[in-house]
Amino acid sequence: MAENAERSEETLYKPSPKSIEREKQAMEEEPKEDLSSLLLPNLNDLPQNPPTAVEFNFSRYFLPDFTKPGHDQYIYRHANGLCVIGLAQAHVALKEEGGVTAVDFNVGKSDRSELKVTGKRKRNAQHFESNSALCKVCTNDNFYIVRCCVKGSLLEVNDRLIKQPGLLNSSADREGYVAIIMPKQGDWLKIKDSLLSYEDYVKLRGLL
Amino acid sequence: MTSPGPAIEWQTALGNAKLCLPPSHVIRDLLSTGVCVRCIFRLSGIHDRDCYISPINESELISFLEEQNEIECNSTTITNCCVCLGVLCPSCVVPEKSGADLRERSSVNELALLISDMVKGEQYQIDEFSLEVSLPPVITANERALRLYLKQKYEKEQWFKDTFLRVHISVKDTLKLVLNASLENYLAVQNVETLSSSFRIRLTYSHSETSQKLQSMLPNGHDSKKREKGSRENGSSKNCNEPDASAYRVLELIEDQNFCSQFQVPPGKVDKPCQLVVACCRTPTYIGGRYLKYSRNVSQSRWIIDDERMGETSVEEIIGENVRQICQGDGYKFHSAGREDIDVRMLGSGRPFLVEVSNSRIVPSSTEIEQISDKINHTDKQLVGVKNLKLVGAEAWDLMREGEAEKQKQYAALVWISRPLNVDDVCNLTSLKDMEISQKTPIRVLHRRSPLERSKVIHWMKIEKVEGTTQYFLLHLCTQAGTYIKEFVHGDLGRTHPSIGSILGCRAEILQLDVTDVKMDYFD
Repeated sequence: MAENAERSEETLYKPSPKSIEREKQAMEEEPKEDLSSLLLPNLNDLPQNPPTAVEFNFSRYFLPDFTKPGHDQYIYRHANGLCVIGLAQAHVALKEEGGVTAVDFNVGKSDRSELKVTGKRKRNAQHFESNSALCKVCTNDNFYIVRCCVKGSLLEVNDRLIKQPGLLNSSADREGYVAIIMPKQGDWLKIKDSLLSYEDYVKLRGLL
Repeated sequence: MTSPGPAIEWQTALGNAKLCLPPSHVIRDLLSTGVCVRCIFRLSGIHDRDCYISPINESELISFLEEQNEIECNSTTITNCCVCLGVLCPSCVVPEKSGADLRERSSVNELALLISDMVKGEQYQIDEFSLEVSLPPVITANERALRLYLKQKYEKEQWFKDTFLRVHISVKDTLKLVLNASLENYLAVQNVETLSSSFRIRLTYSHSETSQKLQSMLPNGHDSKKREKGSRENGSSKNCNEPDASAYRVLELIEDQNFCSQFQVPPGKVDKPCQLVVACCRTPTYIGGRYLKYSRNVSQSRWIIDDERMGETSVEEIIGENVRQICQGDGYKFHSAGREDIDVRMLGSGRPFLVEVSNSRIVPSSTEIEQISDKINHTDKQLVGVKNLKLVGAEAWDLMREGEAEKQKQYAALVWISRPLNVDDVCNLTSLKDMEISQKTPIRVLHRRSPLERSKVIHWMKIEKVEGTTQYFLLHLCTQAGTYIKEFVHGDLGRTHPSIGSILGCRAEILQLDVTDVKMDYFD
């Protein structure tokens, strides 16, 4: 749903017109004190597997083989413009025996986990290019560089990965995200068309 | 209407006043300088209202003081006093609709009528009023010039006591003294002396000719910019505030000698009286209560992005507009104790709010308040409702803001988890009391908020099973104000911890959220 819509705030699943009508009736018939009848959902509106928070609130884009073969990354873009960067499902690091064992943000010229962005205007955020390194992901035998994918200001890195590198093995698509970047509108538009949708990525890699 | 009655009455008052007045040769001097009768009275410290109301003219005054039986007929009436610039004569030029100049000698009544016509024309309903008068600083300079003139000329004389500064009554006070009773009559309500009435009538006098002269005379080099701004709109008091304030300051600091060299002593005659702008306004009216939001497509405040409105309408507009209409105000401001997202309903006790109506023509009574309530609560589409609507005072704003961080809120969230709910889960969640959680600024607001980590408290949680499902349940929770509930459920990619998902050891999603209680003592 959110793949196509652009919403500025997170909105939740909308009930069907039928249940809106039922709610309205409940409010007219019963006194307002009967709160519980207002709160209970209509069973017909409850899907077996509702959309996840990520699916609902972000538009998911994928970059297969970013700068190197097998280096698949994702960008989850929120309606407010912020981009969450991470390792896509078929990233080569996730396929290795033992998976990811360590994550190090000290790459390039600085330790990315040391940055301190403050204030509404995020003034002292560092600016990076799309191929700037975010961190080094280590497996038993190898290491891989994770990159920004989009030009912008680095707002935050997921420093939980330092103590819990296993998050990349269990949930690289959620709690194992790598960083949050704020690109300028223009910089985003430049790369947008070269990105793959979730469906296309899944097809490409033969997943699911 | 305020005719002083038989001539004998003011003769008595005048007789008493004679004791305060300087000798008649001084009076003659003052009159020929161009000082009006009322200014002479007030500068001599005469408090008797009858003296000011009496339509005595210059020659009558002289004859009375010199105890003559014949009145000289050749003196002209002073309409543009060199000290008060006509304010007390009263004469003034009123720009706008009526267009007519008031130049009558004793038409305090005409001035009062003009004002009351304006009040009635705007259809204000009032119980009382306060009069605010704004005068150009040059009048203060004129008074000073006159005092110095008298001192210079009559210092040596027997009668001279130099008590001027101690006894004199200001132009403002005199004008109010003269005008209030007439206004009370025309408006049929009481005047309130101090500015404690909610209904203010503001009289702004300005005199461009002498004010400009004053500005250029006094050493106000750096104020030249302000002077230009001020002289563009002569009637508006707002634009004159700065040059006025600085003019008063300079006058205070300047010494007599310096003053006399810069300013004309005694003050010079003027061709025209002051320009008067009459404005009336009511201080804001506050209506408070609690609102409920039944729709998941109504934002709290008007929300427009790139000319497109988000949501169907807003709580602010529904309530604010209805209140404004019935109060017959010019505009409204909507304040509330917190807010909820567009897709979150506000149920149960409702959320306290305050509507501030500017310049309301009427102060709503309980009947009107009920009207507002009915109008909002009985629309076709029940999007918003109000409770406990009532008129409140300005302090309600502070009351609402007070201790905001301590306020507790109660919610009901429809939660889905990635595996069936079991008994242990329920025990787990319900046993957690006053649990501290840490929330990084949610990604959905991170673009406009500081990236911080905030600590919040979840006071208690209750589970309500949903019949016919194993993975859905209603989560009732009570939290500290400022807690992001949606993020507490789904974890916001791990940036809120603990979260429902992390506590239960599975993935959790939130489908619907409702606010069921906003705990606040008043507005109840």
